[in-house]
Amino acid sequence: MTKVMILGLDCAEPSLVLERWRHELPVLSGLMDKGAHGRLTSVIPPITVPAWSCMMSSRTPGDLGVYGFRNRSDHSYDGLFIANSTAIREPRLWDLATRAGKPSIVLGVPGTYPPRPLNGVMVSCFLTPSTESQFTFPPILKREVEEVVGEYLFDVRDFRTDDKDYLLRQVYEMTDRRFRLAEHLLETKPWELFAMVEMGPDRMYHGFWKLMDPEHRKHEPDNPFQSAILDYHKHLDRLMGRLLAHADEKTAVLVVSDHGGKRMDGGIRVNEWLRREGLLATLRDPEEAVPLREAGIDWSRTVAWGEGGYYSRIFLNVAGREPEGIVSPEDYERVRGGLAERLAAIPDENGDPLDTRVYLPEQVYEQANGVPPDLIVHFGDLYWRSVGTVGGREGVHTFENDTGPDDANHAQEGLFVLVAPGVHPGPREGARLLDVAPTVLELMGLDVPASMRGTSLLSAGVA
Amino acid sequence: MARRRAERIDDVTLKIPRPLYERLRQVIEGTGFHSVTEFCVYVLRDLAASQTPTPDHDRLTTEEVAAIRGRLRALGYLED
Repeated sequence: MTKVMILGLDCAEPSLVLERWRHELPVLSGLMDKGAHGRLTSVIPPITVPAWSCMMSSRTPGDLGVYGFRNRSDHSYDGLFIANSTAIREPRLWDLATRAGKPSIVLGVPGTYPPRPLNGVMVSCFLTPSTESQFTFPPILKREVEEVVGEYLFDVRDFRTDDKDYLLRQVYEMTDRRFRLAEHLLETKPWELFAMVEMGPDRMYHGFWKLMDPEHRKHEPDNPFQSAILDYHKHLDRLMGRLLAHADEKTAVLVVSDHGGKRMDGGIRVNEWLRREGLLATLRDPEEAVPLREAGIDWSRTVAWGEGGYYSRIFLNVAGREPEGIVSPEDYERVRGGLAERLAAIPDENGDPLDTRVYLPEQVYEQANGVPPDLIVHFGDLYWRSVGTVGGREGVHTFENDTGPDDANHAQEGLFVLVAPGVHPGPREGARLLDVAPTVLELMGLDVPASMRGTSLLSAGVA
Repeated sequence: MARRRAERIDDVTLKIPRPLYERLRQVIEGTGFHSVTEFCVYVLRDLAASQTPTPDHDRLTTEEVAAIRGRLRALGYLED
């Protein structure tokens, strides 16, 4: 029966944090000296939503029926929903702690807006619309949050800015306020489970990676931000050290990330590629690149379309399933298999192979609830993103991205460091994001539901 | 009919409208609370301490959805 403190660092990359910078991060390094640590294989896709909810429930995106931030609600062409806490139907760690009468503090864990009742306190995540929203449970906690930190910052206010100094100030301010609130909650609320997620590392990687990494296509030598990501991690390390003052020797400490980060080499314009392959027909041929829907889709001549983002989801236009589907159900597997092969074969801009991974949902999920994509594509092993626009002068490859920052993408492996009574220190292999919840439950002396997909790292002998 | 478990002497019965009861039952669905009674005791204790009514927020307004979409666009997760 152990208290558990989970310190979640969105996107924290193991090759940087656990390896290259280990000795510049004394707090984390101290935890590594005392605990088990290593890479933590994320889910497919390795994206904040649904990954944190998968971690906290030990259920796959297929189980949750949540395949990304935005999901199809049915097989219509425009039935889409943005996944929030109400979409997560499986119990997460604090729900299970509540059932056992154990109090939790939950702070900023993605997938928690709107906040749901629990035994304990909750401050919702970065997808909270604003501080005008009811972002705490119990509701009265909101006033206390404002008394402690003033305006609480769910995320950076203006991520698209080219003013890197301004972006940096925003990230630090967000992180400082969250940690100040975390300290306050640890000091004033009872807890046996503390779960907190800091979004800062993700925002730093997406905004500053090219300035750090000489291998990045857009690296600028001698820029003033070369050490910005490392400096931020050092700052985070100091803040984590203050929280650890609230963890006694009997408290288990688990530092985790939902996925890693890596440089981004470019974007594959997946819908433009489908158009050029004759698999997607638009009503207009725009002179400038525009989102697919703006160009209009001629569904009667469209076999498939895709979603842009850090990875791609491909949907087939199936007769009897989609309103104007043209792929016959008998042809579905043949068409999908052929498309998967062709997507995997898209080369880079020089004609060299990209290490693209194409996944079939039924191969990566034991069950696929809701409306899963027909194909999930990680272009160039996630060194490339997916871009959904069509038209314009650019071809299939793009190196300009006016829809968002393009410095970094997500990597399949995040990290974990686990310090707990009975856990021997040292590096470990084979840990999965889905193993986190069963591990925490075992540490807390709670039963692990049979429906959980992962295995406790303690029972499995990994930790 | 089996006799119900005797209530503790310090407990009293509160009556609430059935629609509210049904609403609360939905609110705790999937959470760790075993019953509406257990949830009510928890919430009421908290409210009594703070003397502040609990606003009812469960659905997202159009403006809230627009704010979230805008943020996801800025972060590069959505393109339209």
